[in-house]
Amino acid sequence: MNPALLSLFVVLPLTAAALLVVVRRPALDRGLMVGIPALVTAAAIYLLFEHRETPVLAHNIGGFPGGVSIPLVSDTFSALMIAVTSLTTTVTMAFLTRTGEDRYRFVPSLALMLTAGVNGAFLTGDLFNLFVFVEVMLLPSYALIAVTGTWRRLGIGRLFVVVNLLTSTILLIGVGLVYATAGTVNLAELVGRAAEDPRVGLAISVVLLALAIKAAVAPTHGWLPRAYPATSAGIMALFSAVHTKVALYGIYRIYSSTYDGQAPWAPILAIAVVATILIGSYSTFGEHIMRRALAWQMVAGVGHILLGLALFSEFALAAGIFYMIHHIVTMGALLLASGAIEQTYGSGRYERLAGLARRDKWVAVIYAFALLSLVGLPPSTGFFAKIGLLQASADAGGWKQWVFIATVLIAAVATLLAMQRLWSGVFWGPAMENYRPEASHGGRDRRVPLPRDLRVTWQLASPAAFLVGLQLVFFVLAGALIPIALRAADDLMTLQPYVEAVLG
Amino acid sequence: MILPITIGVLVAGGVFLIVQRGMVRIIFGLALLSHAANLLLLATGVSAFRGEPLANVTAVEAAADPLPQAFVLTAIVIALAVTIFMLTLAVIGHNDDTKHMPHTGEFHDR
Repeated sequence: MNPALLSLFVVLPLTAAALLVVVRRPALDRGLMVGIPALVTAAAIYLLFEHRETPVLAHNIGGFPGGVSIPLVSDTFSALMIAVTSLTTTVTMAFLTRTGEDRYRFVPSLALMLTAGVNGAFLTGDLFNLFVFVEVMLLPSYALIAVTGTWRRLGIGRLFVVVNLLTSTILLIGVGLVYATAGTVNLAELVGRAAEDPRVGLAISVVLLALAIKAAVAPTHGWLPRAYPATSAGIMALFSAVHTKVALYGIYRIYSSTYDGQAPWAPILAIAVVATILIGSYSTFGEHIMRRALAWQMVAGVGHILLGLALFSEFALAAGIFYMIHHIVTMGALLLASGAIEQTYGSGRYERLAGLARRDKWVAVIYAFALLSLVGLPPSTGFFAKIGLLQASADAGGWKQWVFIATVLIAAVATLLAMQRLWSGVFWGPAMENYRPEASHGGRDRRVPLPRDLRVTWQLASPAAFLVGLQLVFFVLAGALIPIALRAADDLMTLQPYVEAVLG
Repeated sequence: MILPITIGVLVAGGVFLIVQRGMVRIIFGLALLSHAANLLLLATGVSAFRGEPLANVTAVEAAADPLPQAFVLTAIVIALAVTIFMLTLAVIGHNDDTKHMPHTGEFHDR
């Protein structure tokens, strides 16, 4: 493939977003909103096959020589991330068209702009451009968080904007410091520099700190479980698939290429990771609303993903990357299933919902499989993801071995118990008596008796069903998927092809 | 020495304002912080060289480093856009620290 085509991953969604601002046709909105991410998914899967022969594809935009230009680089890791996030985005967009949120002004354009920023952040080989693409991703999110969800969206929107703008400023300061100390912000030129020069190492640490806040690593995780549940389920699923994952991708990429091995502050990372996993899974107990509990599980998932980086071996990185794929798909399924229930019955509170296992059998089945995956029981990708992390921890030896294995197991048990509360509250118990119907002027109306024939419609449940099915396919085809994760980890360990492709 | 001191003062003022309660104060704090970040970026290009970075116009020894200038230009635009959006959020709706619901005609379980 001609590497110049890589820029299409950014250009195509942006152009479509611009088109949708000018032309407002419901059919066009829906078509492009679902079609463009689907197209990106197909292209990324094609890239994955391409990378079996050529491990790294790089394009210097404008044809400037390497080192001066802005590079777009694709290797197995970035192609894998684009494929999984775009696929989840496609399904989420389909869900948004089912709930009618695509009819809100500018939502289709904003969602496509978000996609453009995400793809750019995955492909860029330049720290400053990473900052720019992260901003391209965040600016539409600020608007998206403020247009959907409950009345709390505005207050929460402020929290989300303030946290992210502050973090972006820290990221910008970090990039400036990297430029001051290393004289370049090109990732290929920064390979191994943080290990050689402690000043560059410190500057890179500032960049990583900013990304860690964006990824919601403890002790800076507090904004995520407050901000995300206030927006609607569809938008939350979109955010959960892309936002923290872009930050985690950035941490994986920058850490492994600049330090060329473990950073001197690796023990601090290990402590933060353990704290994130434990805090995330324990805090799930305290919630009485489905999506709030899931938001805490997202925090725990961030910890699990970074565990691969804290261990830092090729197998551990592959385990972390596999966990990331599992987490994106499973979280998407759970959030969309919760969204379907909320959309139908007007509430996500455990005590407002009851007896759904009898009422909506198929939704209960979908939710059960997704929960199994979240906890890590077979048949699910979560099973292989947790096994991978445990095995990688066992290989580490010493105190790390015991601490990490204990953390993952305690977190799994805590998740199981917390999710049993959700299950018995929402799916078991006596039949529901009343609900809040959708109001004609937006939002929800007063509580009325529940009609006998009201069910979660198949249109609303099918996106979640698709993701649960996908996750089962991943479970069956794990043998084909794990080599891809291993190759992605190899990209992070063997940096020579990356440098050669970018600098020529 | 003036540049680092200015950056330090801006950061101190920004942090002080961000930890306050009102949204407008937070916005001013973030504005100060982004000014600090912009000055820091400019400082990375060594402020002693400040000729236009154009070939055939300025001698290479006197020309400024164009890259930090490009960085700052991008960062200013982003900070401007987000500041306007935050000011809008500060104007519409208040009371996010209390449980008081605005009268929108909607009923929610949260």
